[in-house]
Amino acid sequence: MDPYYLALTTVTLASIYGLLALGISIIWSSLGMINMAQGFTFAVSGYGAWLVAQSLSSNGFAVVAGGLVTGALAGALIGAIAFIPLYDKPNFPLRSLIATLAISMLGAQTLLWLFGPRVKALPKIFGYGSFHIGTVVASHEKVGSIVCSVILLLVTLAWMKRSRRGLEIRAMMQNPEGAALVGVGLRSTAMAVMAVTGAMAGLAAVLLSQNYFVSPYAGTTPLVKGMVVALAGGLGSISGALIAALLVGLIEAVTAVTLGGQYVLITQFLFIIAVLLIRPRGIAGMIEHTRE
Amino acid sequence: MPPDMPQEALADTQAAPPATVAAPRPRAATLPIGRRRVLPSLRGHGGASWQRQRYPFTRRTPLLFATRYNPLTLAAERQLLDPRPVLWLVALAVLAVAPPLFGDNSFVAASTTFEMFAAINLVWMLQIGTAGIFSLASLATVGVGAYGTAALSVYAGFPWWAMWLVGPLFGLAFGVIITIPAVRLEGFYYALLTVGIAELCRVYVIQSQPLGAANNGLFGADGFVPDSMRERPGLVLGFYAGFALMLGGLLLYRVVNGQRLGRLLRAAPERHEAFAEALGINYRAARIRVFLISSAGLGGIGGFYATLLHGASPSLFTIDQLLLLLAMIVIGGIGTAEGAVVGTLIVVLLDKVFIGLGPIRLILIAGIMLGTVLFLRGGLFGIPAQYRAWRGMKRSERRAARSDREGETMPEEAIEIADKQAIVVKRFDARLRAELRRLISDALIEEHRTSAGKRRSDTLERVLAYFRSAAVTDKYAILAVKPFAEYRIVALSGRRGVPPRVVDDQVFATPEAARHGVFCKRVQDLMDS
Repeated sequence: MDPYYLALTTVTLASIYGLLALGISIIWSSLGMINMAQGFTFAVSGYGAWLVAQSLSSNGFAVVAGGLVTGALAGALIGAIAFIPLYDKPNFPLRSLIATLAISMLGAQTLLWLFGPRVKALPKIFGYGSFHIGTVVASHEKVGSIVCSVILLLVTLAWMKRSRRGLEIRAMMQNPEGAALVGVGLRSTAMAVMAVTGAMAGLAAVLLSQNYFVSPYAGTTPLVKGMVVALAGGLGSISGALIAALLVGLIEAVTAVTLGGQYVLITQFLFIIAVLLIRPRGIAGMIEHTRE
Repeated sequence: MPPDMPQEALADTQAAPPATVAAPRPRAATLPIGRRRVLPSLRGHGGASWQRQRYPFTRRTPLLFATRYNPLTLAAERQLLDPRPVLWLVALAVLAVAPPLFGDNSFVAASTTFEMFAAINLVWMLQIGTAGIFSLASLATVGVGAYGTAALSVYAGFPWWAMWLVGPLFGLAFGVIITIPAVRLEGFYYALLTVGIAELCRVYVIQSQPLGAANNGLFGADGFVPDSMRERPGLVLGFYAGFALMLGGLLLYRVVNGQRLGRLLRAAPERHEAFAEALGINYRAARIRVFLISSAGLGGIGGFYATLLHGASPSLFTIDQLLLLLAMIVIGGIGTAEGAVVGTLIVVLLDKVFIGLGPIRLILIAGIMLGTVLFLRGGLFGIPAQYRAWRGMKRSERRAARSDREGETMPEEAIEIADKQAIVVKRFDARLRAELRRLISDALIEEHRTSAGKRRSDTLERVLAYFRSAAVTDKYAILAVKPFAEYRIVALSGRRGVPPRVVDDQVFATPEAARHGVFCKRVQDLMDS
């Protein structure tokens, strides 16, 4: 087992899982909503990037921008449908969960209807070259996706820490009612959260589509993985999500090397169930009652 | 008038009672309001209506009749309080007869699918509604039952009846496995985990060669429809087996939800667990028991699935199929058996009968699901309760918006008062007072002061006639403290043995002045009312 290869694969996977899990985690902690439509955002941003590549230009920046913008728009749409009308209604958590599930079903079928079942391929935005790190061959693609997602993660974290809007989001995470009392607009903040997390999913879609294809159901597996990573990290915790993304990525890499690709999901699940049995709130999760 | 009012103010009001009379305000528009539950009523109730039939070993009556006398005709009546059993019977009878008689082959097959999904949803409703465990691994449990029994049939030669017997065991085993995290996790953590478990099963089944990865499913299991049967009788046999399965699902729902376990859990709803625990209800054990029972039920349905379709396919584990099932119970309404069945009916109808529409029909289903969850609190069968809540809200809004009710009974209150005559009297009184208030003027009061013992004007007589007809309770009277020297105004208690109470400190020297004082007081009360 080559440690360099392992490290590279781990970091690649962790960066993409981190993007997905962080989105789910932030949405849950600030909006109190489980966004099961994150997979739809993922799929629709893939199509957005594909449309940009087809009709405008296949320049890497244009494709990434296409994915980001489509993701942000899809996220805002989900927020407008599932959060804004429901957040002050009784039984909000369950109803918003079902609403986002309905949106993901609606979205997948609409994509299937509009674009047909044939998968689409995105242009290789990082080129085909590769270089050596230690003993391992690192393709531009892998390094490019690591760099891109790390940049987006850092930008998001800095924005959450430094900006006014980020302060509002963090206030809403800690105590939504208190935030509303001191003048944080719940609706506008929620829409900002949805747009930013949507953009994160959009970037993840463009990056993952370098290896896989764009299809109406492309979002399912990333959704499930992002969700369980967020779960293992603890819903609502940013650092927990990142730690969990690294651990799950490591387990996936180790399993793929030692046991074989078909056991990846099983070992991941065993790990996550073990984590949750020991710490029911995840690695660094907030206690649910705190949020209430 | 408050008793501590200063004397000057009193004198002031006596001298110049409010002369300005408000013009009659236009009455607020009222909407027709009522609380009429239209119940079918049968003629007569004799001694027979007191002898209720009961389900064996329970205290449940099949049909609950209330006896009463019609308030209008005074005829004896019987009313069926809960018509749902009758509706269930009619619906099930139609379902049992209509598809095999009138449907073509594809319709009978779709009806069988409906019955199977209805059974799954009924048992799943036990997990979500009764036990309150939001498990999304219901279809995965069915899948485990189907794959397990199909594998036993393919590799060990189990016949169909043995598959039916073994199916619940697979479901139970899977249920035990997925219950372990449920002990520790709460709410959404568990929901997300079960989605992941279903995905795990799907990936495993797709990749496992013994479970038919190459053929897109494990097929070749024994079926309960004999091979010698022709197509139509085979379909009809499948339909009736599915019907029996659905009845079994209904029975299980009824037994678990309606009996002791269900009652225990109804006493421990979400956020009130601590209270239930304080009452000695072990709600965790009850939840897990319901979960395991329903898992076994789902496994049994999986066994049925395998014998009906001669195998199992990975589509049982896909999120799309799960979402379709979730759409069914969400549209019908979580927590009721009729919601599970009617939601299934709607979705299967859209899905199977309008199959020519392609993806649009699924878009339609998802749209209905989204609309339901956005606008309805409890699905289709929650509409009556939601409507009542909405109407109550509107009613209280309207009640609050009306600042002055002018002594009248509001329509919202009127439906709660049995003696309608009292309402009429009150309304007449209010209108009469409004009419009399218009007659009061300074000149009238002056006339009363000066015309003691003389003939009075018609207007004044009208006012006095109304005052004289007042009820004895709280009626003003004159108390002669010292005859021809000191008179005071008192109010009668209206009850025997309870003396009149002194109204204020005013002292009058003559009976005429005292009478005028009473008149002024009554005028004051009239203007205030």
